[in-house]
Amino acid sequence: MSATDTTPVTLPTAAPAVPPPAGRARRRGAKDPKQTTARHLRSNRTAYLMIAPMVILLAIFVIWPLGYAFYLSLFEISFYQDAKFVGLQFYTYVLTDPSFWHSLGVGLRYALMVVPTILVLALLLASFIKTLSKRAAAIMKTTIYVPAVVSSVLTSVIFLFIYQDEGVANWFVGLVHARPIAWLNTDATALPSIAVPGVWLGFGVSTLIMLAGILDIPESYYESALLDGANFRQRTWYITIPGLKNVLLYLLVTGFTLALQEFQLPLIMTGGGPVDATNTPNLYIFNSFRDATPFATSYSLTASLLLFLVLGAISLVIFRAVSSQKSADS
Amino acid sequence: MNHTRSVPTRVVSAVLALLIAVAALFPLAWMAISGFKGKTEVLRSPFQFFPDVWQLQNYTDILHDPAFVRAMTITFLGALVFTVLSLAVNSCAAYAFARLDFGLKGLWWVFCIMPMFVPMTAILLTSFVVVTKLGMLDTLAVLIIPGLASSAQMFFLGQFYLNIPLAVEEAALIDGASRWQIFVRIFLPQSQGPFVVVGIGSFLAYWNAYVWPILVIQNPDLTQIMQYLGSFRSDRGNEWGLLMAGSTLAALPTVVLVLIFQRYIVNGVRISGMK
Repeated sequence: MSATDTTPVTLPTAAPAVPPPAGRARRRGAKDPKQTTARHLRSNRTAYLMIAPMVILLAIFVIWPLGYAFYLSLFEISFYQDAKFVGLQFYTYVLTDPSFWHSLGVGLRYALMVVPTILVLALLLASFIKTLSKRAAAIMKTTIYVPAVVSSVLTSVIFLFIYQDEGVANWFVGLVHARPIAWLNTDATALPSIAVPGVWLGFGVSTLIMLAGILDIPESYYESALLDGANFRQRTWYITIPGLKNVLLYLLVTGFTLALQEFQLPLIMTGGGPVDATNTPNLYIFNSFRDATPFATSYSLTASLLLFLVLGAISLVIFRAVSSQKSADS
Repeated sequence: MNHTRSVPTRVVSAVLALLIAVAALFPLAWMAISGFKGKTEVLRSPFQFFPDVWQLQNYTDILHDPAFVRAMTITFLGALVFTVLSLAVNSCAAYAFARLDFGLKGLWWVFCIMPMFVPMTAILLTSFVVVTKLGMLDTLAVLIIPGLASSAQMFFLGQFYLNIPLAVEEAALIDGASRWQIFVRIFLPQSQGPFVVVGIGSFLAYWNAYVWPILVIQNPDLTQIMQYLGSFRSDRGNEWGLLMAGSTLAALPTVVLVLIFQRYIVNGVRISGMK
């Protein structure tokens, strides 16, 4: 939080220290050879001016909330008395709460449905798009990207409509056997029914990233494999997948962390039901925050911090892996 | 490769491509088509794909709902302001880190890049507490300002700036140009591609936002479009045709944006993905 206090001081008070702050004056002054050290200082000042909005905004809207969450998770807060330091009590409370573990289980199952499906789908689509002519490929790329820009709310609303008793989903079911399914109100089908829009929203970007990775694999590998008579399955297994190792890893881990955090789809489609079957970790946290129970704030903050620790660790690992690979390339 | 392929393979390819496109776009098409159906037709068994009579009723009705039009307008204007401001904030910081030397640069870099590893949902609740303390609830500012600084966008723009050759810049410095002039006259004109990618990202993030608005906005005059659609069923009951028409109109700006800038986006995904 100290950054919030120091940065604004750097800016306004530093301005009068440099005599002609106006841009025109600086331009004239720069032609003077004696001014080189002064210009270096000015570059310092310019740099601070340029990063200042970024730094201040991040300090107020990311660092402060984050520090505040840690702070609140250590205190018991109620309307009747002052905040009382309770140490790690909330942490043990969250970690021994079966509802928290249940929600993690739901999140995990959701991720296991969505992420592998997206990866397989993206691999097949990318392999297919690679074989198309340039123009057809461009059209396909745009087409599969369109779902990615549709909001979770719209997707939820569309799929709610599709899952209605007389909706399209049940029409398809009716083609094979007559009984319609209450997709979102049945324990067994509720989570998969939410995973479908999850896949629909996510497969486009994954396909484009995977396609970029496939295009980086030297064409000669495929040509010699074709000469040796390798079929599509063999080419995919022995050339494409090994060549995409880093891309696959990246998509796997980012996909997993994103899927574990999903809560907008269940928030609108089911509200977490039936009987918590779609209560993903963040939805559980969000709902307990909105509950007016006495320690809801501290409890939900502690839970989201624990989730953050896991997710943060995972994304840090990805970032390190990706950036070290880049430095190895260049 | 393609001209050597036989006619049957090309036919199979074309059919497959068509099937994929239909499957990918089906939910959106279904939404738009359902908007053209009357109240009795929209959920009817036996099921029927196309309406008997194409009606514009739902679309005109929703466009005559002042709450809907206001939500669309205010969200659109907010998204434009948000996009411009976030480009300014993130590109300035990206330039400073890519090209300038200054005191404690490493420390500031860590400070600015670290938030990339903080999932939005982890700080969602305390962000709400913070903006409440700042007295920002129920203002346009609370929708626009908190999300402006984006470490990921700064990083992306910074990677692009690092690839711009130093030579031009040095020549300009010798000619006496200031760093701001270099940034505005040399860097910005070359940044069209990454700006489009990052700008569309900002626009979509703002336009599609739902959870943040429902936390911080109570005032019906400031209701955001996704907020409006998200609460439609509890407010207006199961008027599916109307809801689908409204959803179609709300999806339109984002889809149009993608179609206009498709080339940039498809390349941008490539850069932001791995390179």
